[in-house]
Amino acid sequence: MDFINVIITFWPKLLHGLGLTLLLTGLSAVLAGAISLPLAVFRTTAGPWAQFPMRLYISFMRGTPLLGQLFLIYYGSGQFRAELQSIGLWSFFRDPFNCAVLAFTLNSTAYQIEILRGGLMGVPAGQIEAARAIGMSKLQAYARVILPHTYRIAQPALGNEIILLMKGSAVASVITIFDLMGETKTVFAKTFDFSIYLWAALIYLAVTTLFVRGWRYLEKRLNPHLAGHAPAEAAKPAMGTR
Amino acid sequence: MNTTNGNTKTLIVEDIHKSFGPVEVLRGISLTAKEHDVISILGSSGSGKSTFLRCINLLEMPTSGRIHLHGDHIEIVKDSKGNSRPKSMRQVEHMRTKLGMVFQQFNLWTHMTVLENVMEGPVTVLKQPKNEVKDRAEAMLARVGLSERKNYYPSGLSGGQQQRVAIARALCMEPDVMLFDEPTSALDPELVGEVLQVMRKLAEEGRTMIVVTHEMSFARDVSSEVVFLHKGQIEEQGPPKTMFKDQNSDRFRQFLSKVR
Repeated sequence: MDFINVIITFWPKLLHGLGLTLLLTGLSAVLAGAISLPLAVFRTTAGPWAQFPMRLYISFMRGTPLLGQLFLIYYGSGQFRAELQSIGLWSFFRDPFNCAVLAFTLNSTAYQIEILRGGLMGVPAGQIEAARAIGMSKLQAYARVILPHTYRIAQPALGNEIILLMKGSAVASVITIFDLMGETKTVFAKTFDFSIYLWAALIYLAVTTLFVRGWRYLEKRLNPHLAGHAPAEAAKPAMGTR
Repeated sequence: MNTTNGNTKTLIVEDIHKSFGPVEVLRGISLTAKEHDVISILGSSGSGKSTFLRCINLLEMPTSGRIHLHGDHIEIVKDSKGNSRPKSMRQVEHMRTKLGMVFQQFNLWTHMTVLENVMEGPVTVLKQPKNEVKDRAEAMLARVGLSERKNYYPSGLSGGQQQRVAIARALCMEPDVMLFDEPTSALDPELVGEVLQVMRKLAEEGRTMIVVTHEMSFARDVSSEVVFLHKGQIEEQGPPKTMFKDQNSDRFRQFLSKVR
């Protein structure tokens, strides 16, 4: 089979795999995003002793390979089958997809905590002072001033993390998940035509490129105040929440 | 406008002490601002004047002291570790809504437009209906002469314009007392006038104001009382006419000779 025919024949499989890759990545990124926010706030406000377990967790997740973490959860949970069954969690860990989402979420949470921590620390003190001075509670100050700044500061780095996560999600294929890489491997096993790997690479590249564009667009919409001196009318819908 | 009588709106600050580590920067300052008072706080660098102002709305936590305003009584207590903290944070937050603060560096929220900045406090903190606040915010912006800039972001404004927006933002809360922390010190010389003019207008309207400033002409011509701080204490205090004429304190005389 040649370069063109292989994709004409097998594109539905790759498309299916791509769907799973996007689902894995999206689910993990969103879950990690939700978990990392309160943890990042804790990380910047709690004392050093209270933070210690979190710092241990972060250095473990950032200091060991994602593949190893995935194995630890997928194969490791098999070792504790009886215990997991007794507390009703076995059905969760039996499914490789669940294990992959869990591993990616735990991993990305560690990175996102650190990214958000940088964002939180980067909020200018005067912005927070103005919020306090006008009588805002802590919660109001976070919601209206601190977090909007934090996400604007952290947004480029968060985009980077999501891209890394998407590419990293290819390791899911080794625990029998038919994501884009997994499907590509089965096609290769059938055809022995390595060009399917090139197609897979092109698809990863295309998705990444599209994502980067979308993320940049979002960045611009979030930061109309950096665009210069023009009135804000056109950019207003991006402010959203009110 | 509020129709409560003058006495209840009086701001009373009692015996404020503040230490940064071993250094005591405020050594027991008391101040009373009756309604319509315009109090200028003068003092050389390091005299504690900004720290004192920031202690009034607890942006800086006094080591000890009491603050009373219109039914709110803030008392500073020590926690188990010996750190100073207010007895009730909610009461502090409530009192802050009645103390309009204007910063040296403006501190407008950069991610909000001018109008959003002015509306933010009343809508988020006071939970007032948005359409009502919008009308008032626009009126405030008109008063500081910036109606046509309401949809700009702060980055598109000059320093003087930003400071006028900051004043409008504080006014929109309908505060009992306005606090100004060196409001013109960060401005280019040619922009100082427009901000002082707005402040003069507020004083003429009978706003209660406490102003930390280096603008001697403002202190002399506009304020009803001048307080001179030296090394964390009130060195001299009185109506500007007698203060500037008699100059009873050597230190105040020295200070004036330096700033003139």
